[in-house]
Amino acid sequence: MGKWFKSGTPWIWMTGGAVSLSLIAVIGLFLLIGWRGLSFFWPATVYEFSMQNEQGQQSVLIGEIYDQEHVLKQQLIDGGVTGLEDYPESLERFLIKTGNREYVDLDFQWILETIIKGKKVAHDVVVFERTKNGNFYGYIDSIIEGENKLNITKSDLLNELNGRLARALEFRDKEHGLLTGDIGRINNDLDRIRLKQRKLELDGELTEQKITEFKASSDALRAEYLGLENELFGYRDQAKRDSVVVKDMTGRLVTMPLSYILDFYQPNDMNFMQKVGHWFHQVYKFVSSDPREANTEGGVFPAIFGTVFMVMLMAVIVTPFGVVAAIYLHEYAGKNNITKFIRIAVINLSGVPSIVYGVFGLGFFVYILGGSIDQLLYPEALPSPTFGSPGVLWSALTLAILTLPVVIVSTEEGLSRIPSTLREGSLALGATKSETLWRIVIPMASPAIMTGLILAVARAAGEVAPLMLVGVVKIAPTLPVDGNFPFLHLDRKFMHLGFHIYDVGFQSPNVEAARPLVYATSFLLVTVIIGLNLAAIAIRNNLREKYRALEH
Amino acid sequence: MIDFSNINPKGADLSELTAENTALEIKNLDLFYGDKQALHNVSMKIPKGKVTAFIGPSGCGKSTLLRCINRMNDLVEICRVDGNIELQGINIYDKSVDVASLRRRIGMVFQRPNPFPKSIYENVVYGLRLQGINDRRTLDEACETSLRGAALWNEVKDRLHDNAFGLSGGQQQRLVIARAIAIGPEVLLLDEPTSALDPISTLTIEELITELKKKFTVVIVTHNMQQAARVSDQTAFMYMGKLIEYSDTNTLFTSPKQKQTEDYITGRYG
Repeated sequence: MGKWFKSGTPWIWMTGGAVSLSLIAVIGLFLLIGWRGLSFFWPATVYEFSMQNEQGQQSVLIGEIYDQEHVLKQQLIDGGVTGLEDYPESLERFLIKTGNREYVDLDFQWILETIIKGKKVAHDVVVFERTKNGNFYGYIDSIIEGENKLNITKSDLLNELNGRLARALEFRDKEHGLLTGDIGRINNDLDRIRLKQRKLELDGELTEQKITEFKASSDALRAEYLGLENELFGYRDQAKRDSVVVKDMTGRLVTMPLSYILDFYQPNDMNFMQKVGHWFHQVYKFVSSDPREANTEGGVFPAIFGTVFMVMLMAVIVTPFGVVAAIYLHEYAGKNNITKFIRIAVINLSGVPSIVYGVFGLGFFVYILGGSIDQLLYPEALPSPTFGSPGVLWSALTLAILTLPVVIVSTEEGLSRIPSTLREGSLALGATKSETLWRIVIPMASPAIMTGLILAVARAAGEVAPLMLVGVVKIAPTLPVDGNFPFLHLDRKFMHLGFHIYDVGFQSPNVEAARPLVYATSFLLVTVIIGLNLAAIAIRNNLREKYRALEH
Repeated sequence: MIDFSNINPKGADLSELTAENTALEIKNLDLFYGDKQALHNVSMKIPKGKVTAFIGPSGCGKSTLLRCINRMNDLVEICRVDGNIELQGINIYDKSVDVASLRRRIGMVFQRPNPFPKSIYENVVYGLRLQGINDRRTLDEACETSLRGAALWNEVKDRLHDNAFGLSGGQQQRLVIARAIAIGPEVLLLDEPTSALDPISTLTIEELITELKKKFTVVIVTHNMQQAARVSDQTAFMYMGKLIEYSDTNTLFTSPKQKQTEDYITGRYG
């Protein structure tokens, strides 16, 4: 035994064990959120349950099995459930997602196995995705155009519905395009005219003639707006033309206009390949569409965009600052105690809790800096703030100072690894110190700078707490980049995947509906961070190969 | 023992050097690293168009002296220099001297080859680009001339735009020499240029040095007495920061005047 200890084998096992533990933790986490998040998009089988409660009442429940668990009989009896005497100690119960939110009390129901009398795969059942009230499960009864019921056979119903839904969606797309395109532009232009007028007024240069001009141009815009509005209503009416009549689980016929149906599918009648196709389609919809219903339905595109945009903005800010600071510390600052003190202070900055940076960002960037910018540059918009309220620029700046130490430390490390013979070689050819820096030292330190940036991005993309103070919101109506002048709206608030997870998971009115979205969003956030890191690592490896240091 | 049969016979007569035959004159040079004195009152004249070698045991100050000539010691913060080094009558330690332009006139090659992480071509024209020369044709010509001057052209002419790290150690060292002569210096300082190379590369560099002295004044620091004997016209022997003996190579190796010199060249220490 003693010999075994002396041989160092336990030490190897211990170190190897530590590595495996971390590996298992990472992979396990990734698999968990990946599985939970991604299986949400798989078209689940819809069952039809026939049930009979203790009073002997028969009922039918249509829905997906969302979750299942074992409960102890005693626990149920204590909870007031009666009639369980003949059953075993442990019973199973199912969480059923029934949808049809506007017609049932709860769209997620726990049912005990004891009351289930029959369970069958409900063929022909159709799942409708809707813009509000979540999914609807039922059997298609008929299609109505305007007031008239279409006289078609049952087998043609689906094809007909497909065609008509495509038409309705087309009008909805047009409507959306009009809203975000021309109507958005007109609103933006009207606002700018108002601000211009206010500015002239503040400067005391507002003449009667100018007022007439402004009025003329805004009247023209308003007239254009009215025209567009008519067009918009036209599209809406067109989209509303057709309705579908669906029979739900209670046998009730429900008429739903196609204008608020997004998609429909028959999960029980799909083969495997169709399900795979559907899965990809759902994933695509998740990453590319806007959230609906207080974020519990729909996609997360604005949050992905906001996260990536903010992180890139942060990278653009933090890299030059960090590199310049590191160059000063390493190349120019005297090698004395003050430099040492500054270096320690910089390193310790990364130990400050991030919420502190959030408070600092709110106080300094938003109120002081943003407030001053508003006073100086946007007085016409006051009292409503432009930069004086939380926004994506301030978020990026706050995270930039949060990640500054990382960039400084790794850049300095990179600078100190460059062989002094190369600097001397450059100096001996008549280069000045700054020429040597620019032509030799900084290019050679660029892999280290990229390393710093990778660490900074990894840290910043996952940071949520400070953002809640300086610019993240639950729902941002517009992206920070759009087609309206000046195209880049750094003053706007934005959505963020990290905050989205918090919001959907803990602030949502419908916990069960939101749960898979939490996993899916978490998985997406991790994927985005890994993606950003991989991109940076690829660039770094490329640079490393290029500036491979002397090998001897 | 050294074979003295092939000692270079054409040493200049150091006592009769005129002003125009002198490339450099070192006058009463003292050098301190903090409190420690590394060079003691060194004075010598380095003749133009010749090869001058500094020899001596490790730590004797020969590299330090060499690095004084193009003020590379300025990089060492605790280093202080007293005395003069005159390049064509001008003291290079004078306040009015621009160090960067001084180093353009006095090129240097280091112990280990230190090519930049750039292409062979960019390495050679680096000094020219620093001077703001970006005309393609001028650079191409300078690149070819310098590489020919460093006896490297034939080996690399087909891969000028490959990374310089792909060259062997000896080729890298010749590339560094090409880089130094591309900017047309008057004096070339070689700090143990062959100590990191294999014997064949060493031989090539030594042949190159003999070629180089036709255009440049060469000062070489070497550990290797045979090398000093083979390539240099004058040799200075240094010991403990002092210049012990300085004369034409032939005299120094065949009839040293100082006991310390004799001990060193006969291999009694060092």
